[in-house]
Amino acid sequence: MRDCKLIRESLSGWLDGQLSASDAEIIRVHLESCAPCDGERRQLEKLQSSLKSLLVSNVPRIAFEPFWAGVRERITKKRSWQEEIMEWARSTFAAPGLAWTVPAVIVVLLGVFALDSFWKLGSQRNNFAAVESIDAHGRNVALLREDETKTTVIWLYQNQEGEDESSGENTETSPSF
Amino acid sequence: MESSDWELVQKCQAGEIGAFQELVSRYHQKIYVVIVGLLRNREDALDVAQETFFRAYRKIKSFQGGSSFYTWLYRIAVNMAIDSQRRQKRNPLDFRETMDGLFEEQNEVARDPFSDVHDRELREKLAAAINDLTPEHKAVIILRTVEGLSYKDIGEILGCSEGTVMSRLHYARKKLQEKLSAFL
Repeated sequence: MRDCKLIRESLSGWLDGQLSASDAEIIRVHLESCAPCDGERRQLEKLQSSLKSLLVSNVPRIAFEPFWAGVRERITKKRSWQEEIMEWARSTFAAPGLAWTVPAVIVVLLGVFALDSFWKLGSQRNNFAAVESIDAHGRNVALLREDETKTTVIWLYQNQEGEDESSGENTETSPSF
Repeated sequence: MESSDWELVQKCQAGEIGAFQELVSRYHQKIYVVIVGLLRNREDALDVAQETFFRAYRKIKSFQGGSSFYTWLYRIAVNMAIDSQRRQKRNPLDFRETMDGLFEEQNEVARDPFSDVHDRELREKLAAAINDLTPEHKAVIILRTVEGLSYKDIGEILGCSEGTVMSRLHYARKKLQEKLSAFL
């Protein structure tokens, strides 16, 4: 049974031809003698062919000339400074730049609150909470401030859009400080 | 003799827009198919595909050939599609409706592979199940299915390891399989 579990976990990679020759051979031999695992293989193959039909065969071809005209128009068009800033922000806060942008966001936020405390702007203060998306991969920064105790919490987290993953994926899905 | 992608990139870096046009003609359909798979409608996909090439043009001087041009281009396209999807937050039914529209259009010129009722139902369930995946899981399924890219290339595009690609594919297929168990 343990073998079957391991084999099924590797079936996806086996069907994609991404396993080593020795691992692929172990799976092939197992499938010859295990009907349930072979049934699983058949299901995966049918799923793959259905996916191909849905995602590839049914997408229309697009004509090149009008497509290129649209790209060329964007290249030659002068963009406003707002669009330039938005583009800069998107490329800067994209995933590869996150290593330094996250600390930068924290420093900026801390700076803003430090200045706010220093000048004591306004006599009446309110509690404050805000959430901002900082990249295209669901990472967010949340800022919570409780005025009476002067407590500020900065919380970095990634959206959990799917269900729990049992496959031990390397991506971070839980809130982290 | 046809120029390689890298030769065209170098000409493009020297200011030859004709070289960039050649690159667009090579990849516009592939990029479009990937983005249609990730987004919920064809019009958005067309817009994001054109914006992808515009961004690529703007950044092409920074491309040093460390990876292949197409993985670099796909990375821009996937990031833009995921970004666009997260910002739009449209009705989940949009994807199915749009894909139905694409099928109808194809039916006029080609045989529908989902020709009977059972397969039509499978198609609808599959479209809904894909739509329920996270953008990251949807991306690995699409890059693998549409382009048949290796795990290494997919890892380069998505900025993760081959092991993570394998894990995401296994998880995504398992989820699709569970939701479609009555049809497979």
